[in-house]
Amino acid sequence: MSGLLLMLVDDAVFAGIAAFGFALLFNVPRQALLACVLFAACAHAVRTLLLHLDVPIEWASFIAATLLGLATVPWSRKVLIPRPVVTVAAIIPMVPGVYAYKTMTGLMTLHHQGYSAVLQQQVVENGLLTIFILIGLSFGLAIAPVLVYRNKPIV
Amino acid sequence: MNSGCNEHRINRKVAISHEEQAIITRVIARAGQLLQAYNAESRIIEQTTERLGMAFGLDSVEIALTSKAIILTSRFGDHCVTTTRTMKAHGIDMGIVCEVQRICILAEKQIYDLEQIKQRLDNLNVPKYNSVIVACFVALSCACFSHLFGGDSVIFICTWLTSFIAMRIRQWLTQLHHNLLTVFFITAFTATFIGSFASGFGWGNEPELIMITSVLQLVPGFPLINAVSDMVKGHVTIGMARWMTATLLTLASTLGIVLAVQLAQLGGWL
Repeated sequence: MSGLLLMLVDDAVFAGIAAFGFALLFNVPRQALLACVLFAACAHAVRTLLLHLDVPIEWASFIAATLLGLATVPWSRKVLIPRPVVTVAAIIPMVPGVYAYKTMTGLMTLHHQGYSAVLQQQVVENGLLTIFILIGLSFGLAIAPVLVYRNKPIV
Repeated sequence: MNSGCNEHRINRKVAISHEEQAIITRVIARAGQLLQAYNAESRIIEQTTERLGMAFGLDSVEIALTSKAIILTSRFGDHCVTTTRTMKAHGIDMGIVCEVQRICILAEKQIYDLEQIKQRLDNLNVPKYNSVIVACFVALSCACFSHLFGGDSVIFICTWLTSFIAMRIRQWLTQLHHNLLTVFFITAFTATFIGSFASGFGWGNEPELIMITSVLQLVPGFPLINAVSDMVKGHVTIGMARWMTATLLTLASTLGIVLAVQLAQLGGWL
């Protein structure tokens, strides 16, 4: 149990630092940086916990993003900063970058070395995983504005 | 559409002359153009322009978004003013998106009048973070990813160094206003090429992680997330355009990776 807790804390800390770097890259205003790091750390830890409980990765991403999206609403109202400013930077550690690159390199190898069923299987699996995780993340973020605050501006 | 904005509608029905309406429309178009140029979501562009229009007492503001331009019509009584602005992409800057949103709220609460809003939009003063610090922390992000994928401390340090060099090159190329695809290709090539030496020397527990994670700074996460959220909220064409841009950027970085890997294999250290 304490092993799991330690893993989650480690996961949260490193995901938070990762989100901080991207927040600087996206020029997120100074007063939103801390919130961005905290939201990213919590969301990533939630996803890791769900993955640990054998939830499929796309559903885990969806649930983590939904919680993140809902949690940012009160914060965003309080400081009058639109939600995408923090949510997108906070979600970056969960974006399936490695799968996207694997899909593309697989496609190039498929062209370079000729067709093989194994390679095709890898390309299709990685590609589908990329797409479904991305859709899960974006739908999760969209839950708050689409289902709860229909057409009303949140800020 | 956007009937929810009614609660923000200000109940003052002052007559607006045609010239005034043209000035207001120009200000709104400027706000929309800024939001689009700095990669705000389409929903935000739509809502902000509409709210600005309502705040200035117009009857309605309709906006048509394409991936390269915005077309905006404001209506007051029987008068319509239509204007088009092309979009000059400036990369991602959430500071400016925040600032435009804040200006919109100031207009809504009647704290600023039209002239002040125009002044503030024309002289946007959004500080940027120091580029060396940004590079340090983006490199730290990549190093954190290598830790999350199970790399040890040697991998952590090597990834940090590799991504730092790659990030500095990326900033330098961006500053020279190169095409984004070229920037991504060259950056990915450099990162992978430098990372491949670690595999050659067999440093750390999983040397390939350095090559994989140091290019993660190039994943176009922002366009990808924006693409899907735009499509979810009904802006399908813009979503498609963003998705295609993101795919092309991924393709460009993958080309760089593959080229570097093949060179390293030719050299015999991978």
